[in-house]
Amino acid sequence: MLVLAGCAGLQSDRVRFDGLSGCPGQTAAMLAARQSQYGPLSDTHTLECALTVLRDSQDPALRRTSLGSRLSLHLAEREANPDRREKLAAEGVSLAEAALAQGADDDAAVHYYLAANLGLAVREHITLAMDNLERLEGAMKRALALNPDIDHGGPLRLLGALYLKAPAWPSGIGDLDKALELLEKAVNKHPAHPLNHLFYAQALWHEGDEAGLSRAKAEFTQGEKLLAEGNWGYSKESWKKEFAEFRQDLENGL
Amino acid sequence: MRKTYLIIAGLLASLAVTAAPAPEMIVVCYPGGPVNTRDAQSAMGSMLRVVERVGQWPENRFDSLFTSKIDECRKQIAEKKPKFAITSLGLYLELRNPHNLLPVVRPRIKGRTSERYRVVVQKDKYKSLDELKGKNLGGTVLAEQSFIGKIVFAGKVDPAGFFVLQPSNQAIRALRALDKGELDAVILNEQQYAGLSSLHLQTPLEVVFTSEEIPLMGVVANSTTTTEEERARFGKALEQMCTDSEGQKLCDLFGVESFNVVDAAVFEPMVKLWDEGS
Repeated sequence: MLVLAGCAGLQSDRVRFDGLSGCPGQTAAMLAARQSQYGPLSDTHTLECALTVLRDSQDPALRRTSLGSRLSLHLAEREANPDRREKLAAEGVSLAEAALAQGADDDAAVHYYLAANLGLAVREHITLAMDNLERLEGAMKRALALNPDIDHGGPLRLLGALYLKAPAWPSGIGDLDKALELLEKAVNKHPAHPLNHLFYAQALWHEGDEAGLSRAKAEFTQGEKLLAEGNWGYSKESWKKEFAEFRQDLENGL
Repeated sequence: MRKTYLIIAGLLASLAVTAAPAPEMIVVCYPGGPVNTRDAQSAMGSMLRVVERVGQWPENRFDSLFTSKIDECRKQIAEKKPKFAITSLGLYLELRNPHNLLPVVRPRIKGRTSERYRVVVQKDKYKSLDELKGKNLGGTVLAEQSFIGKIVFAGKVDPAGFFVLQPSNQAIRALRALDKGELDAVILNEQQYAGLSSLHLQTPLEVVFTSEEIPLMGVVANSTTTTEEERARFGKALEQMCTDSEGQKLCDLFGVESFNVVDAAVFEPMVKLWDEGS
């Protein structure tokens, strides 16, 4: 049984990076200067070293950035152990909250990574997910309003996916029309990202008619091709699983 | 030789003790619903784990098979012959004789164990149901046309002959179409009608038809494959679910205050209407 705690009902204890050695000597300033280099292509050891420095840093300039939350997300996404994955995502939420407390309210990336981590932390716990729906929507909307283009249309993609997967009206905020609008925009503005096509395909599939199914298949094929041909680093494996799950839905028809 | 028999008997005995029985399949039917099957399966799984715990069954004693497609539901109930199922009232009325279904529990939602259906139109556009003859009627509940005709309209209106039906799996989409004048009317269940105030529609709506009170349906059992004791135990576990700390969150999620054991007699007026409409 998971022990869920904290203001959002998330796990509050951190993942320990056992046996972490060989980390480069880094200061908070060095980390801040290199922050754009950390991403899905970075190896896990590099991300763990960076997160360790950030955990120990009290530098307000560094803690005001989205870096800590982004590092947590990349580590969580590639983590196979569900408990560790949720702890890393919960830490990402906490680091984004700390950034907001330091005055990062106008930074779209902080809201975006907060939402992405929160979604990952609660997605296997249905009641926890329901408890956090409003917060997820709020963070995604704020990121969208500030900058819809970060992470290849990430705010469009995440908010679209939320409206697609949340319980529909009148039980919840789920809204297929809104999902279709946002995800179509994500695909048109950022056609190179595989997940934009996958999520748009899922929304089209939910239309429940033959025309939607046909367009969903086309979007799915396009997304799968982009995933196979692109250099998506460590994100590739987890995205492949998402494509494989939806392939089953498509094969089962309407 | 006797020693060999003992070893084999011992092995078989240990197998009998350790082999877990196959989970009891519960078919869950939600006709016309917009629910994602995978997510719904996950929610049902969470609910069944609570039911198993409060009913003192071993974990994973039950499994669920969810569908929002009415034909798929008929097929699964015929093929899997589940001991228990969660169905709409329409499916219960249709399948009760061929599958010997008996109601076990029904939900209580906002203090009520029954609901009314309503037909809504743009204000002042139509004054009565009669004026909607030949007009477009939308709604999620149209997935069960026989139920709408025989029970909601009490056999007085044949939906397919009276309206031009525009079924939808998204209630909000049907209401937006009504708002834009693309539909003439939408039929809503109680939960959808109660949610209207949360929508920001451009045009005010009004009700031109309200059904009689119709009992809510919950869990049914196959009376030939379950014993009275099994039905009572399952019903009691469901009754306890919403008072359990974890179960309460799931009940909130489904919008249900509690599940209450129900007597089949409650549904007799509906059975009569259904049979008269055959």
